[in-house]
Amino acid sequence: MTKAARPFRKIFIANRGEIACRSIRPCRELGIQAVVGYSDCDALSLHVKLADEAVRLGPSPAALSYLDIDTVLRAAKDSDCDAVFPGYGFLAENPDFAEAVEKEGLVFIGPSARVMRILGDKIAARRALAASGVPVTPGIEDVSGPEEIIAFGEKVGYPIIIKASAGGGGKGMQKVYAADEVAEKLETAQSVALKAFGKSTVFVEKYIEGGRHIEFQFIADRYGNVVHLGERECSIQRRHQKLVEEAPSSLLTPEERSRVGAIVVKAMKDVGYETAGTMEFLVDASGQFFVLEVNTRIQVEHTVTEMISGFDIIRTMFRMAAGERLAMTQDEVILRGHAIQCRVNAEDPKKDFAPSFGTISFLRQVSGPFVRSESGIYQGWEIPPYYDSLLAKICSVGKDRVTAIERMRRALREFEIWGVKTTIPLLKRIMDNPKFVAGDIHTGFIEENIAGLTEYEEVEEQIFKVAKFVAQVSGLGRNIYAG
Amino acid sequence: MKASVRKKDPKKILKGIRDGKEICFTQTGPRDTGQSDFKNRFTLFDLRKLIPLYDGTGYFSLEVHGGARFHQDMINNMVDPFEEARIWSEGAPKSLTQTLIRSTNLWGYRMYPHNVIKLAVRSFLPTVDVWRCFDFLNYIPNMASIAEEVMSGGKIFEPSISFTESPECSDAYYLRVTDEIVDLCGGTDQIILCIKDMAGVATPSRIARLVDAILQRYPGLVIQYHRHATDGLAIPAMAAAAQAGVKLFDVTDDGFSRFYGHPPVLPLARYLKDLGFPVRLDTALAEKASEVVHGFIRHYERFESQFKGFSSDVVRHRMPGGAFPSSFEQAEKGGFLELMPHILKGMAYGNRIIKYFDVTPGSQITWTTWASIVQRLNKDGGEQAIRKLFAILERYFESGERLEALTQADENVLLRLYSGATDDLKNLLLGKYGPLPFGWPKDWVYKSAFGEDWEDRVVAERLNESPLSRLADEDLGRAREAMELDLGRPATDDEFVLYTQHPKAAIDLLRFRATYGDTTILPTPVWLNGLRAPGDAIELELAGRPHIIKLVSIGEGVGGVKHVVLSVDNIMHVFPVDLPESLASKKVVRKATPSNRGEVGTQVTGNVWRIGTKDRALKPGDHVRKGEEIMNIEVMKTENAVKAPFAGILKEIAVTMNDRVEEGQLLAVIGVETE
Repeated sequence: MTKAARPFRKIFIANRGEIACRSIRPCRELGIQAVVGYSDCDALSLHVKLADEAVRLGPSPAALSYLDIDTVLRAAKDSDCDAVFPGYGFLAENPDFAEAVEKEGLVFIGPSARVMRILGDKIAARRALAASGVPVTPGIEDVSGPEEIIAFGEKVGYPIIIKASAGGGGKGMQKVYAADEVAEKLETAQSVALKAFGKSTVFVEKYIEGGRHIEFQFIADRYGNVVHLGERECSIQRRHQKLVEEAPSSLLTPEERSRVGAIVVKAMKDVGYETAGTMEFLVDASGQFFVLEVNTRIQVEHTVTEMISGFDIIRTMFRMAAGERLAMTQDEVILRGHAIQCRVNAEDPKKDFAPSFGTISFLRQVSGPFVRSESGIYQGWEIPPYYDSLLAKICSVGKDRVTAIERMRRALREFEIWGVKTTIPLLKRIMDNPKFVAGDIHTGFIEENIAGLTEYEEVEEQIFKVAKFVAQVSGLGRNIYAG
Repeated sequence: MKASVRKKDPKKILKGIRDGKEICFTQTGPRDTGQSDFKNRFTLFDLRKLIPLYDGTGYFSLEVHGGARFHQDMINNMVDPFEEARIWSEGAPKSLTQTLIRSTNLWGYRMYPHNVIKLAVRSFLPTVDVWRCFDFLNYIPNMASIAEEVMSGGKIFEPSISFTESPECSDAYYLRVTDEIVDLCGGTDQIILCIKDMAGVATPSRIARLVDAILQRYPGLVIQYHRHATDGLAIPAMAAAAQAGVKLFDVTDDGFSRFYGHPPVLPLARYLKDLGFPVRLDTALAEKASEVVHGFIRHYERFESQFKGFSSDVVRHRMPGGAFPSSFEQAEKGGFLELMPHILKGMAYGNRIIKYFDVTPGSQITWTTWASIVQRLNKDGGEQAIRKLFAILERYFESGERLEALTQADENVLLRLYSGATDDLKNLLLGKYGPLPFGWPKDWVYKSAFGEDWEDRVVAERLNESPLSRLADEDLGRAREAMELDLGRPATDDEFVLYTQHPKAAIDLLRFRATYGDTTILPTPVWLNGLRAPGDAIELELAGRPHIIKLVSIGEGVGGVKHVVLSVDNIMHVFPVDLPESLASKKVVRKATPSNRGEVGTQVTGNVWRIGTKDRALKPGDHVRKGEEIMNIEVMKTENAVKAPFAGILKEIAVTMNDRVEEGQLLAVIGVETE
C-alpha cells in the first residue's frame, strides 16, 4: 500500500481493558470513530462504555471471543471500520490475523504479516537479527527432546531457560538449574505454550542471571524511516512479567544509548519494519547486550517513553498506518526527565501473585501533577476471571529519577481499590526499597527480596470492614455472635 | 496526674489496706456481675464510658477480666481479652485491674501443664494486677505454678477458698485450707485471702464466725469477701463479715445490680457507714456511674436470666451466680426450661452424694449431670419418675446413706443414676482434677458410673496426688506451628496465648477481626441489632476522622442472600448477606486443614484442568512421589501445579476435572504409606 495518506474514518479496537481505553483516546483526538468488541462478561466493561460503538463478539473465554479471528474480523467489517488496531496480547502478534484483516480490505495497524512471521518466531528472529548485527544469546532451536537440552546446558553452563517459540509475556518460561529438572520443565513449557499460543514449539537459551531488562522503543513509517525513542528499563519483574518500568535506564550513557539505538534502527530497516515496536535486550553484569526478542506491537509500558519524549506512540501508529510519513528525524527526538510506571494487577503478592478477582467495591484513581493513570476499571465493576490481571497503570514523571519515585509514592498512596487484592502494597514497598532507589536492580530483584517486599499488612479501610459487619447484622436482624 | 498505682509495691498496697480503717470495694460490674446477670455481653462501647468514673470512685480494684468472660469475649463479644485488659489498665491508672483464674484450668476448660501456665500468666502480668484464683476442690497444690508466677511478677495473688454451707465445711476444714495457702504463698504479706461465696449462701453469723477463726490464726491476713446476692442476704452477710474484720468486698453499681451477681455498692456503703465503718467510696461518682449504666442497660435485657428474683433454694442446689444465666439459657434452648426446678433439686441431692464445690468446672459437671438425669427420667416416665427418684434419694439419706436399706428395685434405680456419666464426671471420680476435698464417694457411685469393671478402673486409675505433677509440658513450638498453619500467617505471642486457652475460638476471633475490624466502636444497639430502618445512620470516629454509615435498604432474601445497601461515607455499597437457611443448605466446600499436611488444598481460585500429569493419570490408591505434580489449576491463563507434600498413597481425590475450586478447598488427601 503506497497510496497517499488518507486518515481513517473508523477504527476497530480488537482488545479490552486499559489498552482498549487508551487506544480510544487518540481516535477521539483525531476525529476517528472508535469501535470495540466485547465478550459476554465484558458487556459492562469500561472500554464498551468509552467507545463510540460496541459489538458483541461471543462467550467469555477468549478463544471464543477476543482470540477468534473470524468473529473479530466480522465485527470490524460489520461495523464498517476501515482499520483494525490490536493493542497487545490476544491477536496482536498473530500474522494470520494481520493477513486476514488486509485480505478483507481493512488496514491492520501494525507491521506486515511477513515481518511478524519473521520476528514472531523466536528462532527465525534470532537468525534475522544476528544477520543485521544484533547480539544474540547462545541458544538452541528446534529442540527435539531433553537430551539435547542437557547437552546444551553442559556446554554453556546452567541456568538455562526454555521458552515458547511463539508468544511472549513470559508465559510458560521455565528456568532450569540442573540436568535432572530438564524433562519436567520442558513438558510444562510445551504444555503452556500450546495452551497460550496454540503451538508447543520451544527453544532454549542460556539464562543470564542478575541481568537487566532493557528495551528500545522504535517507530517506523512505510517509507523506510525508522527512529528510536530511547530505552526503557523493565528489570522489576515477577514470574518474568514486568511490574515496574522506567525510562530512561539508569545504566545507559548517552553514547551507549546512541550505539544500541543505531543497531536497533538498522536491524528494523533491514527487516522492513513498519509502525511501532520494541526490541528487548538482556544486559549482563559486564554491560553486554543480548537481544531477547522484538515485540511487534504496542507495549504495556509505552507510556514511560511517551512521558519523556512528549510523543503519543499510539496516535503516531494510527497516522503511520494511514500512510503518513514519520515527521521527525533521530536528531529531533529529545528525551527529557525520568518516568516510572507501576502496574496495578489483580493479584496477591503474598500468595505468589495468585490472581484475585471480584468486584471493585470502591475505587479512587490517582490524579495530581505529573502523574498519569491508564485503566480499564471503574467502581462497581466485576473483574472477570478470564483474562489478564492488569487493572491499571500509574505513571509519574519528574526531572530526575528521584523526583519520579517521590511522585510515584504519592500516587500509590492516593490510589484506593477495595474488593480485590492488588500489587499496590508491593509497589509501595518497591518504591521505598533502598536498592531500588539506588538503581541497583536486576530481573531477579523481586524474587531475591520477596520476603521483605511482601511484609506489609493488608489494610482494607477499617470503616469498610465495620460496614460489612453492620450490613450483616442489619440484614439478619440480629448479631449471630452475641446471640 | 497521679502516678499509676500499678507501679506500687503490692506489699505496700496490702499494708495500706491492713493498717487502714477503711472498707474498700472491688467493682465487679464488667466481669462477674456482667456474667451472672447479663451473660457477659457488656460491650466495650458501653464499658468504656465507665472507665474514668470507676477510676475516680476509689475502688480497690476493678474486676474486668477472666472467668467465663475470657471465652465469651472471644466467641460472643469478638473482643481480644488482651485488648480489653489493656484498655482498662491504661484507662484506669489509679485502680488495680483484677482477673479470675480457675487454678490449673486458667481461663480455659482443661488442665494446663506448668509451661502453659507460665506463658499465659506472664503474658497478662503487665495489664492485670490482682489475680484471684480458685480451685473447685480447694486443692491448693493446683495453685502452685500460678502463685509462683504472679508473686514473682510483682503482682497481688488472691487465692480463694471455695465456700459453701455444709456439715463438712467447718471452720476447722477452712483453717486447714488457709494453712496450706499461707504455706504455699510464704506468708500473708503479698496475698489477699478470698472467701469465695460464689453461690451466695452464707448466713451473717456463719461468715462472721469463719472470718473470726481465720483472723485469730492469721491476724495480718487481708480478707476479701466475695459474695453473690442470690439468696438475698448479701448485704447483712457482708456487714457481719466487716464486723469480724473483712476489709474488702465485691460489689457492683446500683444500676447493674440484679439477683445473681453482686450487691449494689451504694446501699452497702450506706449500711456500713451506718454501722460506723469508714468507707472508701466517692458516692457522687458511684451515683454518676449508675446513671450511665441506666442509659444503656436496657440493651441487654434479652441476656438477663429467664427466672428473675432472688432464689433462697440456692442454699441447697448451690448453683454459682456465674453459672445461672448460662444454665437457664441452655435449658431454654434445649426446650426443658420447665424442668429447671427438678434439676435444681437434683443438684441439691447430687451435692450430698459426690462432695466438691460448685464452681467451674465442678458446677458444669453438676449441672450437666443433673440436667441429663432429669431429662432422661422425664423422657422415660415423666414427672412421676423424677419424683420417684427424689423419694428414693430421700429414703437413702434418711437411712444414713445405706444402700441395703432400700428395696432391690430402688437400689437398681440408684445404680442407674450415673449410667450416663460424662467423661468429666468420670475423671472427677478418678481424681484426675485432684483428690476430692471430703473423700471419695461411695462405691455404688463408681458402680453406677463405670459399670461392672468399676473396681478395676478405680484401682488402676484413681489418683491421690496432684494431677499436675503427672502433666508433662506441652510442645509449644509445635502448637504454635499448628496455629499458624490454620491461621495462614505468623501469630503474635499474645495471639498464641489465646490459642492455648481456646484454640478454635482464637482462630475464629482473629479471622473475625481481619474481616470486620474493630467492631467495639459500634454503639450497642447497632452491634446487637444493626440498623433497622432506611435512613438510620451511625456516626463513628476512626483514627480521629469522622465517618457515617447509613442504611439505604435491606433487600428481600432471594436465593438465600439478602442485599443490604449501605452508604459508607457517601458512597453506596451493596453487601450480600448470606441467610442462615442458605448457609445450611448451601453445598459445603470442603476445606483442607492447613495443619494436616496430608490434606492438599488449592492456593488459588481457578479451574481444575488436569488431574495427574500428561503422562500419568492418577486415581485413589496410587503411590505418589514427594513433589510429584498431582493436579493443575488454571487461573487467568496461568498454570498452577499442585504437588504432593510427601511421598505416600493418594487416598482421595476430592474434585473432578473442570471443577471450579476456591482458595483453600480440599483437592486430595495423601496418606502415609503403611508398609
